[in-house]
Order: sequence, then structure tokens, then C-alpha cells
Amino acid sequence: MDLTKAKIRDLRKALDNKEISAPELCAEYLKRIDEQDGKLLSYITVTKEKALSDAENAQKIIDAGKSSALTGIPLAVKDNICVDGVRTTCASKMLENFIPPYNATVIEKLNAEGYVLLGRASMDEFAMGGSTQTSAFAKTRNPYDFERVPGGSSGGSAAAVAASLAPAALGSDTGGSIRQPSSFCGVTGIKPTYGRVSRYGLVAFASSLDQIGPICNDARDCAIMLNAICGADAHDATSARVETPNFTEKLGQPINGLRIALPKEFFSDAVDSSVKACVLDAAKELEKRGAVLVECSMPGLKYAIPAYYLIACAEAASNLSRFDGIKYGFRGEGRTYEELIRDSRSRGFGEEVKRRILLGNYALSSGYYDAYYKKALALKQEIIRQYNQIFESADVILTPTAPTPAYKIGEQDNDPVKMYTADICTVTVNIAKLPGISTTCGYTADKGLPIGMSIIGKRFDEQTILQIADAWESGFVPLAPEL
Amino acid sequence: MAVELKTIEHLCELSKLNYDEDGLKKVMGEMGDIIGLMDEIKGFDLTYDDTKDGNEIRFGDTREDVPAESFPTEKLLANAENTDGCYVVPKVVE
Amino acid sequence: MSAYFPTMGLEIHAELLTKSKVFCTCSAEFGGTPNSRCCPVCSGLPGTLPVLNQRAVEYIIKAGYVMNCDISRFTKWDRKNYFYPDLPKAYQISQMPRPVCLSGTVNIKVNDEDKVIRINRIHLEEDAGKLVHDDVNRISLADYNRCGIPLIEIVTEPDFHSADEVIAFVEKIKLLLQYAGICDCKMEQGSIRCDVNISIAPKGSDELGTRTELKNLNSLKAIAKAIEVEIDRQEELLENGERVIQQTRRFNEALGETTAMRSKEDAHDYRYFPDPDIPPIIFTEEELEAIRNSIPELPEQRVARYVDEYGLKPADADIIVGDKRICDFFDAAISEYNNPKAVANFILGELMNRINRGEADMDALKFGGAEFAQLVEFMQTDKISQANGKTILREMIENGGNPKDIADKGDLWIKEDNDLLAKVVDEIIANNPKPVEQYKNGDQKVFGFFMGQANKALKGAASPKAIQEYIRKKLEE
Repeated sequence: MDLTKAKIRDLRKALDNKEISAPELCAEYLKRIDEQDGKLLSYITVTKEKALSDAENAQKIIDAGKSSALTGIPLAVKDNICVDGVRTTCASKMLENFIPPYNATVIEKLNAEGYVLLGRASMDEFAMGGSTQTSAFAKTRNPYDFERVPGGSSGGSAAAVAASLAPAALGSDTGGSIRQPSSFCGVTGIKPTYGRVSRYGLVAFASSLDQIGPICNDARDCAIMLNAICGADAHDATSARVETPNFTEKLGQPINGLRIALPKEFFSDAVDSSVKACVLDAAKELEKRGAVLVECSMPGLKYAIPAYYLIACAEAASNLSRFDGIKYGFRGEGRTYEELIRDSRSRGFGEEVKRRILLGNYALSSGYYDAYYKKALALKQEIIRQYNQIFESADVILTPTAPTPAYKIGEQDNDPVKMYTADICTVTVNIAKLPGISTTCGYTADKGLPIGMSIIGKRFDEQTILQIADAWESGFVPLAPEL
Repeated sequence: MAVELKTIEHLCELSKLNYDEDGLKKVMGEMGDIIGLMDEIKGFDLTYDDTKDGNEIRFGDTREDVPAESFPTEKLLANAENTDGCYVVPKVVE
Repeated sequence: MSAYFPTMGLEIHAELLTKSKVFCTCSAEFGGTPNSRCCPVCSGLPGTLPVLNQRAVEYIIKAGYVMNCDISRFTKWDRKNYFYPDLPKAYQISQMPRPVCLSGTVNIKVNDEDKVIRINRIHLEEDAGKLVHDDVNRISLADYNRCGIPLIEIVTEPDFHSADEVIAFVEKIKLLLQYAGICDCKMEQGSIRCDVNISIAPKGSDELGTRTELKNLNSLKAIAKAIEVEIDRQEELLENGERVIQQTRRFNEALGETTAMRSKEDAHDYRYFPDPDIPPIIFTEEELEAIRNSIPELPEQRVARYVDEYGLKPADADIIVGDKRICDFFDAAISEYNNPKAVANFILGELMNRINRGEADMDALKFGGAEFAQLVEFMQTDKISQANGKTILREMIENGGNPKDIADKGDLWIKEDNDLLAKVVDEIIANNPKPVEQYKNGDQKVFGFFMGQANKALKGAASPKAIQEYIRKKLEE
């Protein structure tokens, strides 16, 4: 069976029609990983044995005629989502040998469907970065050009899907970590509304911004994945007590009359002209199909980067304090508690993680709190207000996903400021708790690198952004990378 | 923007991180640049009202007080250096 | 007479009697083998999240009401960040700018004078774990069973000027929390703990001196002693022209001195910020009203009721209400035998006597209020003599059981044996002509002598009433 760009629903059909068995399908993906991932480095851990036994179990469910959407479907899971008994590293030396004794809620939900775990996808260390080059174990490459980054932090998940080393993957998104690598790798990824998916079992980066979501070959597969993983969770007080719709329901419905806002600040000079042109062309195409384009403005974008980094790093500094070498994780040396935790943290964390911890503690420390952290919270309220204002006259917002296509490995090394400002297109969506989906809108003329556009929806309106992304994809032919 | 050495040292203390001399010099420079970027937020003047985040829940929606079985001790301790069912911590100097 | 006067404020931590912990579903019971009452959440495993226990919030609201506080309609939780091995997340979930309760008052009585202590705030937080130090191997062992037990922290204004006031306040708080049913207040188990902020200033001065914080005070006795020695220490410093350094000091009960604790971090900067995992809570007036209405009768009301309805003496009512275990025992007893005065008298006269002598323990009593009430009733209705009643109580304290069985077994019932009564009394009168003479000459006091002799000889074979009547009859013949 040709697995190139194979969709979940195609695999579902093949499994249910007994064209292929779950173990056979699993074995084919494992074989592809075995052949290709040495170069791509999208996985930190390939859970071969578990995958095959998962697949055997799934086949029993299929044989009993009781399969659900993901029964027997092999998936990659970002390495910051806890799986009971499976090493979960967060791509950090700190958690190199950490084996969680419990499942994240999303994993429980996938288990209930009988999914197959192929392995743990690489990422930036503790999800801090946009290139997957801060991974301590697998510095993933872009499948379209091995000299380029796959984006991040869910770069392993996006690259694996793009290279068909998994039909779909779970990622997490704190400031663009699902959408930006999806854009760089030419796949489709959705960050659901904050609270839509339980965060229980997701190793926290920034708790008020983190959200788990799928990375797939298209919007329709994203909808199928969302159907499986969404819902209120008694283990996560921030998971929303709202009804979970059928996310595939609106797919295929005409987009006539839907109002698409284009905030001008997202199309400034900070964005590459090739990217801008590509996204605006896509907007025009959507207009041709009946959508209404709306001009608007988001003046708060100018402060978005500091607001985002101050909030995210403040929370991260606190969230990552628990890594002290005592209870789990890398245990350094020291005769006293103080020496041991300092040594564990200094040697267990990578440089970018340490910088963010320092920044977070700076923002929270006495004397700086009001000027930085509290100001960032004020900005958060202002950004939410500005989004609400735009949504008064629009159904969705369209922006580039990233200011550039995938850049060369090493290009942003040692330049945190450059790295941070590259998140400008995605961070406000997390700040405002909105859903956003990135889908490919074209390829660069010279190098054939994917360019992504983001569709941002109202809170809990994933259905409309899926509908528009699906409408766009129905008239777009994606180019698979040549490996 | 330059960051003073004593500020970085204080942040290292709060963060429980060690740097050697070269590392400290390097991170001082980087933090200076990063804080320079963060300082842009000072151009924005609105105040934060913590009652207006809109994320509150009702008292009645909090968890009911029903205990459940705890976790097997050995499973919790599996990732730790442990003895007698406890985590082993080097001596705390006070 | 000292030239200085002390000013003190208290921080009282009290563990709430919820069934589960404050942010996870582990049992909140005291003790357990190490790390057996733990889960990924309270052990601080990566990826876990806290979920707030409703009853803990209900209880702190009750605490707020019994201390006359304002209850915030909007409350939220913050992280207090610091590294210590008893704190697995390296932050404690607590409350900073928006605690559940603000500005209350508590009335205390010291040396018969009433005084009002102002409460600054009460907030809800989680307890930390326990460390056992192994000095031989230079390690500590961390047990997280206590992690996540709900705690309220009661912070007073600096309204105390003597150890007596502090003790009276702590005793009052213990009673209030016990009667509200939200804390068992067992100081020895650490379910209520008290820190004292203390400073001294020259008499007449308007300004407060530099304060120190006393920790590790696990009994009322320790609190009183620690305050005394710390005031002495501070006075000596000032007398010698030195100054008091703001610091945390630990009281060493064995040595009777306070010693400076090396601060955990020299620069204490807890970097409080709102916990993004816990949504703020809002209350409706109906919810608050329902909680307020569910508060059981408080000590002051109960004393008043015992005096007004049961006719107990105020001093007696104070003693009974002053120990909730005794008060509950009293209530159980009078629900069995509705004679509050007799029950109270036997409790105060006999049971308390045994307790004070260390023969009985209210926490491990082998009988209940019902059995006790039966005994009082038997005595009141002349079925058992006072002397045998005391014997039966001692047996119940030692071995439990009920008074009927014990009386049966020991043949302790009053038998109303009139023949025996006549025989015994006739004999006593015949053998004691002198006192008979005295009585006949108007000396009523000798009547007691005859009663005593008869009681002794009859050993409960007749009721005191019957003995009395028969003796009188014979003497006046």
C-alpha cells in the first residue's frame, strides 16, 4: 500500500475493508521510519514493540466490527505528552530516562479508540523554540530540504507527517508550535481553543497558553483527530465545560458569505514578500469562491512578542522549577540539596531553556513584576479586546503562519531576539485563547518550500476554520517532499 | 540594553542555575538583548484588572470532595533514588 | 518592670478536615506509610494539574464567617515559588492578592477582660510534605503524604501585647474551628500550627520595633515559653545597645531558647503570580448563605444555651464547652437521659477528675455518652448508690461495658431490703446510746454519723432515702 500522504480516512477504509491489517499497516510505517528517519530525525523514540502489540489489539477490535475512527491508525506523539510506561523526554537531557507512570488524558482517549503508538516525535527542548534544533536528541530536518529546519517546537510531528512516517501526529502549541512547523513542512495543523483539549499529562511549558492539537495531511483529518481528543476533563480545571461538536460536520459546506478579516499588521514588512503574496493570493481565491474579505487592524500586535514571552517564560520558570533531580529526571552531583539541584538543573537543561527560565524569573521578581509581568497581562486583555472587535465584523481572520518559509539550520543560532520575533504571526492566537489552523497555501518559486497560512476563529469555533481550510485544500494540490 | 552582573547573579540564584565565567558572560549579553526586546512593552500604558480575565468558574463547578485510591508508592518512586518508600535528598543545609 | 512592651501578630495554619486533598483525590487523613497517600498530582509529576476541592473552599468560608470576616465574591490562587525538598512542585499553591476572607474580628477574654483581635486575612493553601533527617548518612528522606492537605492560614493584625493574650486567642481559634467542624486542631499532630511575629518597643513609643518570626511552636506551653524568652532576648539586645535583626527563629523547647534559622534563600523573593492551572472562583449570594447556614452552633451560643435552657452555672458551662470532646459527650449523654444538671455534675465532679489524674483519656474513652447517662440515671433514681456509681464509672473507664452489666456482675444494685435495713439500723442505734442521746437533745449533726454507719454496713442494700427515713423514724420514736 502506498502510504505517501495517506489520510486517516483512507487508512480507515483500507483497515475496515480488510485490504490491510493493522499489524501490516503498522509494520509498513515502521519500515518507512527505519528507512527514512536516519536522515530526517523526526522521532526521538520509535516504540516498535508497543506499536505492534497496539496493532494486534486494534485488529481484534476491527475483526469484531467495533472499530472507531482511529482504531488501528498509527500515530506519532510529541515527546512532551505522557504515555504510561513509555519514555517521555521533552527532548531534554533532564528527562532522558523519565518514564511516566500515568497517561495523559489525550492518550487515554486515543487508547479508547484503539490507536497505535508509532513513537515519540522530536521537538524543541521543553517546547521552547521554533526550529526543533534545541532538541537534545533528534534535531529534525525539513523533509523538503534537509539543510533547513522543520520549524518547531512540534517539528518532529510535522516532519514525520510530511514525510509520511506517520499519517498524523499529536503536537502542542504554546505560541505557534503546531502551526509554524505545519507551515514549514507543508502539512495542516490546528491549535484548538484553549480549554478544548485537556492538558493533563502534557508537560507544561506555559500553562495559560499550552494546547494539544493534531498535525495531519489535511483539515479533514484534523477534524477526525479533534473528534477523538477534545472534551472537558475532570483532571484539568482549565478544560472547558462546553459541548464537543462533530468537527467534520461543516466540512464541504459552501463558504459563501463567510467574512475573512485580514489585519494589516500581519502583512507588514516583517513578513517576506513571497509569503505575503502567497497568502493574499489565497485570500483572493477564497473570495472568488464566495468569501467576503474584510480589512481590519490589530494595533496590539506591536507589543505581542514581549507580552507573549513575558507571560510564557514567567509560567515556564515556575513550571520547570520542579525539575530538581530528586523525584525524576537527571540527577547531578552535590553533597547538599542546594548543590545537587543546581548541578542537576545546570547540566540537565539546555541553553535556550535556561535563558527562558532566567527571563521568567526576571519578569516575576520583586521590583520588575509590575513593569513586565503585570504589563503583559494588561496587554493580554487588550489583545483579547482587539480580537473581539475584529470578530464583530468577521467570522475568521487570515494571516501568514510565519514571516518566512523554513530557514537554514544554524541561521538563528545564538540570536534569541531573531528567534523570538519570528513568532509574531502566531503568538496572539494563544494569548487570546483562539483556535487557529495552518494549511499550505503555496510553495516558494525558487526552492519549492511550503508556505503556510493561518485561519483564526472565534473561541470554540474550530468548525468554521476547519471548513474554510478544507474548502481551500479541496482546490489545492500539495506537493509531497522527495526524500 | 546591558544587564548588570548582580542582576544576572540574582536571577541565577532564583533559577538555581550555575554558569561558569564564560557562560555567565555569554548569557549576560543574551539576556541584555532579550530584556531590550521585552522593554518594548513599556511603551504600552494600560493597567491590568485581574477580575476582568473572564476565566473564572462558579464555586459549584469545583471538584466534589470524594477521595479516590492513591497511587502505588513504588510506581511513583520509580524515577527517583529512593529508600524505605521515600525520596532520597542530600542534606539540607540551613 | 521592663522599659519595653511587646507587640505580636500571629499566623495560624490549620489543616482542614476534608476527605480528599485540596488539589487531588488522595486521602487527606493524617499519617500513613511514606508516600502511600500520594498520586502523580501531589507528587508533582510533570504534566499533572491541580483541581480545587469544593469542600476546602466551603470550609475556609466557614472559618471566615466564624471570625466575622468579609468573604470575597471573587477569589483566586497564586503560586509561591521556592525550592525546598518537601515541596515537590517547587511552588506552593496559595493566595496572595485575593484571599477568600478579609478583615475579621475574634473576641477573647484575658484575666476577665474582653478584648477584640483583628483578623487581617484568611487564605487557602496546600500543605508541604515531611522530611526525616538521617544525620549519619547526611541525607533526608522525603515523604509527600502531607503534600496537598488543605490548610488555611489565619493572619492577625499585630494586636497582642502579652503571651496570655496569644494563648487565649489560640485557644479561642481552636474552639471555633473545632465547633465549626473544619479542623480537629491537634497541635501535637501539627493539624494546627502557630507562628508568632514579635517585636518590642520602648514604652510610650508609637513605632513598632524590628520583628522576628518564631516558628516550630507545637504546644501552647511552647508558645508561652518562646514568647517569654524571645522578649527577654530582644530586651537584652536593646539594653546592650545592639539591634534586633529581622529574621525567622526557631524555638528549641529542650534548651528553652530561640535560634536563628538560616533563611532558605538569603533574598526571599517568592515571585507570587496567579496560578494559570486554577481558574478564579466566584460565589453567588445563595451559595454563601447556604454555607453560612450550615455552620453548627458555636461555643458562645452553646454556653448561653446550656445556661439558659439547662440551668447550668456559667462556669460549669464554660468548662464543658471549653473542650469539644467533653461537650459532644455531654450532648450525647443528655440525649439519652434528659437531666443536664445531673449529667454535668457527674462529668465535672467525677469524669473530669479521672481525666485530670490521667486515668481516663477523652480521645480513647471505652464508653459513650449513652452509657454514662444510664449510670447517672441509675444514681438519680436511687437504683445505684453514689459510692457504687463511682465504682462503676471506674470500671467503665478501665474496661468499658455498660453500667447495668457491671452492677449485675458486682451486685451493686440498691435492693431496698427493708428487713436488713431495720436490722442494721436497729443495731447501730442500740450500740450507740451516746449519739442517740445527743440527737434527742437537739444535736442534728449526729444524724450524719448514723447515715455514714448505715451506708457502710448496708453496702447499697437500701437507697439513701430509705435509710434516712428509717433512721429518723427510729431516732424520733
